[in-house]
Amino acid sequence: MAGSALRRLMAEYKQLTLNPPEGIIAGPIDEENFFEWEALITGPEGTCFEGGVFPAKLSFPPDYPLSPPKMRFLCEMFHPNIYADGRVCISILHAPGDDPMGYESSAERWSPVQSVEKILLSVVSMLAEPNDESGANVDAAKMWREDREQFNMIADRIVRKTLGL
Amino acid sequence: MKAILATVISLALTTVVIGNAYYQKKQFYPSIVYLTNSNPSMAVMYLQAFILVLLVGKLLRKIFFGQLRPAEFEHLIERSWYAITETCLAFTVFRDDFNPKFIALFTLLLFLKAFHWLAEDRVDYMERSPVIGLLFHVRILSLLMLLAQSDFYFIHHAYQFTASKGPSVQLVFGFEYSILLIMIANILIKYVLHAIDSRWETPWESKAAVLLYTELAINFLKVLLYIGFVAVMVRIYTLPLFAFRPMYETMRSFKKAYNDVVLSRRAIRNMNTLYPDATAAELAAADNECIICREEMHSGAKKLPCNHIFHAACLRLWFQRQQTCPTCRLNVLRAPAPAAEPAPAHAAPGHPAPPAPAPTAAPVPPPFPQMPPPMMAWGMPPPPPPRPASLGNLTMAELQRMEGNERRAIEARLQLLREIQSMLDASVLLMQQYSTVVGSVAQNQATVGTQTLEMGRTTEEPETKPKVKSEPDVVPTTSSYQPSPVASTSRVKNEPPLDRPPADADANPRDKTDADAEELRRRRLQKFTLDK
Ligand SMILES: [Zn+2]
Ligand SMILES: [Zn+2]
Repeated sequence: MAGSALRRLMAEYKQLTLNPPEGIIAGPIDEENFFEWEALITGPEGTCFEGGVFPAKLSFPPDYPLSPPKMRFLCEMFHPNIYADGRVCISILHAPGDDPMGYESSAERWSPVQSVEKILLSVVSMLAEPNDESGANVDAAKMWREDREQFNMIADRIVRKTLGL
Repeated sequence: MKAILATVISLALTTVVIGNAYYQKKQFYPSIVYLTNSNPSMAVMYLQAFILVLLVGKLLRKIFFGQLRPAEFEHLIERSWYAITETCLAFTVFRDDFNPKFIALFTLLLFLKAFHWLAEDRVDYMERSPVIGLLFHVRILSLLMLLAQSDFYFIHHAYQFTASKGPSVQLVFGFEYSILLIMIANILIKYVLHAIDSRWETPWESKAAVLLYTELAINFLKVLLYIGFVAVMVRIYTLPLFAFRPMYETMRSFKKAYNDVVLSRRAIRNMNTLYPDATAAELAAADNECIICREEMHSGAKKLPCNHIFHAACLRLWFQRQQTCPTCRLNVLRAPAPAAEPAPAHAAPGHPAPPAPAPTAAPVPPPFPQMPPPMMAWGMPPPPPPRPASLGNLTMAELQRMEGNERRAIEARLQLLREIQSMLDASVLLMQQYSTVVGSVAQNQATVGTQTLEMGRTTEEPETKPKVKSEPDVVPTTSSYQPSPVASTSRVKNEPPLDRPPADADANPRDKTDADAEELRRRRLQKFTLDK
């Protein structure tokens, strides 16, 4: 069934280029391989990540859309829901069967209805509103809760870094 | 570059050490004796051997795989760390016969294992690569043959050794190579399936099912092997801690494969027998698009009890993973059929038909809180059975009892599944009752006022409890997210304004990743402006 995954990815790519959501660019890194995408996400306005442009990589499984892709930020990130190595931990990226954190209800999990666009949009809203219950980055979660000023400082440094300042 | 440097340095060191030994002793045998008796010399020799192994590994990798993809490399490193840790644990069991030969054998095992992993990853990648050349087939087939032969040889050797000299560390090798041989069989089956699939023009629908059954059978074999191995080890030595992680993972994937097979069979049978084909009007109402593959539906579309329509072929594939509606997550195994009777008795043996569709996913038992007794006035929920102990808490013996002997074990597992199902039924019913209670309390409070204080307290407790468990705070998701920038930012607007640090705060020099990111960004932006 390699064909159907490829066809769907192509359809999504076409859709994304025709109707790009605001602040998000995404597409295959290499037209030969539609299973590895690169995305650029701009930090949502009015948040501490405002103005940043964050590159990320999406890796799709061969049985996409039955299984979710994996997403990893390629730049330095400091966020409660992003692991130190850049992996993104949000429920939409988890198949209903696996629950790494043990508290996600299956309603928000991956299903073929979801799409690259929905994933990226929920990453944008994750940037705007971190969930400090999830322990992907415990330090960031703690700082987000207890020392917002410092968190904003770090976020600002990261934003400047992604802009090459 | 680093690799070349390391090779050159170790080669130089070895030359110096051997030269020194020969210079001091002048003859071959005395030099050897001198070398083996001197610890620093031996350390250098070990280092040299290690580098040689790596070089041979690189050469073989070049021959059989060419360039590794980054994902393959990462996977290899990750698995190697686990394997090395477990090998060190194994050393503690066999510390009595610890000698260079022993280390060499373990290194060889790790070395061969690495190639098994790479072969597995490469064959899995077949599904994703658009073109598979002749070279790929030649490489994979010859590698699999070689690996199978070496596995077979080592199993044979271990068997002979154990038969003639009694139990020793060879037990571990025999077992490890048996597992690897099973792995080869699995890779070979997958390879054949993918190869057939890639030759066909039309997608091969039953491939996923065949893969599922293969996985079940392979995992079953592995579980048997692990249990046998642990039993033998416990009898002769001690608990083989080093085998626990892989054993646990095998058992977990066996259990998952088993659940998948049972539940998906049931869902697919329901689909074939109970759900009606979508009519042309219904198709038109759904824009003719199948949400799973994003392609048009002309015929062969099925309507689920929730009225959502998909390709039958797409649904079949999805049901092999999840038995829910992709759109609304209605659990199709527990929903009454749209037109016909609810699921026939044989489809769901021994589980009480729930009164209402339950929008929960069946295969995962959610943490079931200790709830207060259900209020019988609103219905007759099935009695919640005792909560099955989690696999992690079971002792080895219990695990063995659970996984062992075919028929009884399978019956036990079926029983467990039924219990999970009825627990889910119970929890859904309870949730409904709670919401009814809450609803009526709210009404009462509005009309009666203070009188409801007592009742409100009694219902408050059960109401909050399941809520905490079933609707945890989860990362924001998109199921209801609207892509309007206002919605995403409105909440954060009232946060303290950003404190811009002074400009020298980011005076630290840009590092490489920074430059890379910038380059990526520029490239991507450029690309997209060109595209548009
Ligand atoms: Zn479809
Ligand atoms: Zn539905």
